[in-house]
Formats: sequence, structure tokens, C-alpha cells
Amino acid sequence: MVPKVLIVDDDQSWLSLMQKELASYAKDFTIRTADSGDSALAILKQEHIMVVVSDLRMPGMDGFDLLSRILSAYPDIPVIIVTAYDRPKTKDVVFRSGAAGYLTKPFSSDILAGEVNKILRKKSAGGNLHNVSLETFLQLVEMEQQTCTLQVSNKAGNTAGVLFFREGDIVNARIGGRQGKAAAYEILSWSSVSVSIEHECVYEEKLVEGDLQAILLDAMRSKDENEEEEANQAAAEENEIVLDEPVSGEAEKETESEKPQKQAEGAQPSAQPAAPEAPEEQLSAVETLRRQLESALGNDRGVKDVYSDSVWDQIVSDLSDLGEIFGFGQLNVIYANKGEQGQYLVMPEEETTVISIDPDAPRDRIIGAVS
Amino acid sequence: MADIFKDVLGIEGVHGVLFLTEEGVLSVSQFTTDYQSDEEKIKGVDWSSMVGELSGIAEAEIMFDEGRFYIRKTNSGYLMVILEDHAPVSMVRLNCEVLLPVLDKQKAGKGISQLLRKKIF
Repeated sequence: MVPKVLIVDDDQSWLSLMQKELASYAKDFTIRTADSGDSALAILKQEHIMVVVSDLRMPGMDGFDLLSRILSAYPDIPVIIVTAYDRPKTKDVVFRSGAAGYLTKPFSSDILAGEVNKILRKKSAGGNLHNVSLETFLQLVEMEQQTCTLQVSNKAGNTAGVLFFREGDIVNARIGGRQGKAAAYEILSWSSVSVSIEHECVYEEKLVEGDLQAILLDAMRSKDENEEEEANQAAAEENEIVLDEPVSGEAEKETESEKPQKQAEGAQPSAQPAAPEAPEEQLSAVETLRRQLESALGNDRGVKDVYSDSVWDQIVSDLSDLGEIFGFGQLNVIYANKGEQGQYLVMPEEETTVISIDPDAPRDRIIGAVS
Repeated sequence: MADIFKDVLGIEGVHGVLFLTEEGVLSVSQFTTDYQSDEEKIKGVDWSSMVGELSGIAEAEIMFDEGRFYIRKTNSGYLMVILEDHAPVSMVRLNCEVLLPVLDKQKAGKGISQLLRKKIF
């Protein structure tokens, strides 16, 4: 499957020009375009995009906002920022915001293709495998305790997904906007695949429950059941007598009575066994936020501490009053960066609650988690 | 210098920009056309208490139900941008970042408070 690059710009003529000029690189990557940040996010949810190229200044959601959302929801997708708004510090801020590349307009399509290819090469630096048995290969990854990101293409369905491994353990999986166990099951059920290996993994925290062996077993069992079901269905269809018009009333009755079963069968994508439901918990606002942060930042460089601290009471009160003056409603959270001392989220609960965060944690992910 | 905050104020969703000196004096306040009346609203605010509480903070973002403040420490005080909730904060950050050297230069020269007062108003 040829990698897909998404170019986002509100300037339609520039998009058309890039699409036309980059057509000569169709062997390396294909181009998908979006004229706004919202359209780009909709495409990312549905399709397997390998690299995003985004303009900085766009009406509505600007390039920074889009970058921040991509970093939060799809941290494995590199974003190249392009802009005509080049100021002395723009490049610096763009890179500090988490972009993978920066180009100043105007530039030739060859320059952009060069940047894209550089990123794509990195994404397959560990090599490419074709027509492999995914389960065998993954067992090898587990055995060798590899940390890697695998781009998996399903030849049969012309779909693709990503598996993330940290020290041999599966930590996440993604197909478009779907993540976690459901996506892992679906990818693991694909029969004929190609795999590109990158020796890095953006996820620190494990977002898929269970070890690889258990997930593989479940996925294989589900795959067998589906194949059996498909075979039965095919046989049944062959023997079925098809009526031109269903008998009025009877057919409806039958359809209605079959509905719950069919819905149950059709509710999950073919390869996904029903995942056990987690018990519902009533979480406090602080606990919810702490979990969101850990998910966005990972445990290693994320939340350091959660505590009540009256030292912040006065600033909470002052800022609440100021917000009231401007008619902004209730104060929800203060993000404060104290440089090397660290970063803090302050929440005006009954007792002012402070979440201290590692100074190196990316600011945009923190803000993204609380916004 | 009259244009110093023009770019920030030109960003969609920005209501206004304030500059507070290290001593807690509001030395600059500029609002976009639709929010000129906010100038009156902030007259009674105790800025010195606020600046005292901001001590040690290099950058802050304050999120409300329906709006935000973005605060950036400079060598001579604090820059505060008042924003709508949907405003592109990253673009505001970038513009403030670009402004810092300009503001610092004023500190080294005539003093920002004096200069901005004189040129802007």
C-alpha cells in the first residue's frame, strides 16, 4: 500500500497545484487534500495517513491547533508545518510545538517531496516485509523485546493500521481513528499483510490490556469463527430460495424477530470479540484529569504529584474575579509553567488542587488534555 | 510602536491585550473595536496583588467556561491576552513570542511603560 500524505490548506489553488506537481512521486506516496483543519481530522479518522502537511494560518482551526490535536490523538503521525508567515521565532515555536518539519512558502514541490520522503524513510528504517505471517512476526518482536512501530497493510481489504510495541509488549494499536484493543484485534486478524518497521514507539503507556499472546489467541479464535461463519453464510446463500417480493407482514415479523441477533452479530467489526466491559467508576474531576494527562503524556514524563495547596488560593481568587469581569463564567483550570521547577495545573476545587507535571512534558499535550 | 500589539489584536477571537509592569501597574491596555467597553470594566482591578501572585510563572493559560487568558512573563512585566474560548491560542503564543524581544528592548531603553503610554494612546 503506497503511503498516503494529507495536505491541509485553505488555499484551494495551492492544494491543486501541489496535488498536480506531487503526482510524479506517486510511487513513493499519494496525496490527499483537505481545505480545513476539521476536514483533515475527519479524514484522519477514516483513512490511514502517514504524514500530514499543514499550513499555519487558516481560518477556524489554524495549523497550531491542528498540530496539537494530531499530537494528542495521533502522536505517531508526523506533521510538517508550511507557512508564508515566517517570523524570526516561528520556526522555533513550530518545532517546540511538536512539528516534524517546517517549510517556508514559497517552495518547490520537490522540496516538499524531499521532506516527506525523509520522514517516510524513517518510518520504515527497520525494513519492510511482504506477505508475512503477522502472528509469527509479532512473536519474534515479543521474544526480542523490541520497541517499535509497525505499519501493517492488509492486502485483502486494502486497509492499513499501526501496532505499537514497547519492549516486546503491545501498548497500542490504531486503524484510522479507532485505537486500543478493538483495533489490535482487527489488525491481528488480517491474513496477508505487509509490514514496515520503525524502531521507535511514541506511546509510553500501555493502552491495550492483556499480553500479546492472549490478544493473539483471541484474535485467532475470532478469525476462525468468522471464517466459519462466512463459509456457512455462503453455503446458506447458495441454498436460499430468493423471493422477488417478501410476503407482506411475515417478512417484517421475521426481520424484527431476527433483528436483535443480527444486530449483535453485526455490531462488532468482523474480527473483534466482545471486550469485557470495564466496571463503571465515579471519578472526581481531578482523577479524570490525572488519567487524561497520563494517557496524553505517558507515565515516565507525566504527572509527578497531585495535592491540595492553599498557596494557589489567592491567584485562583484573583483570576476568577477577573474572569467574572469579562463575563467568562467559571474558572476551570490554570496552566502555569514555572520553568525548571515544573508545570502545574491548578483546579479550583473545594480545596485548591494542584497537579504537578514534569518540566519536560510537552506543553501542548498538557493543554490538549485539559481543553 | 503604535502597532506593537496589532498582530495579536488582529487574531480572531482576541478581545484585548494588557501589559502589567513588575510593580503591578497596568501600563497598557488595548482592546479590539467590539470590546472597547472592557477598558472601563478593568479600572478597579488590583493588579499589584495579581502580579505578586504571578511571581515565578513564566507562562500561564487560564481556562474559563467561555474564555481564556494567556499570560507571558517578559523582562519588564507580564503580557496578558484576553481571548475567546475558540481563539487560536498557539497563534497568540507565537505572536507574543515574537513581541518579547521588542518589549525587552523597550525595557533596556526608555522604559516600556512610558514609551507605550506615549505612543499608543
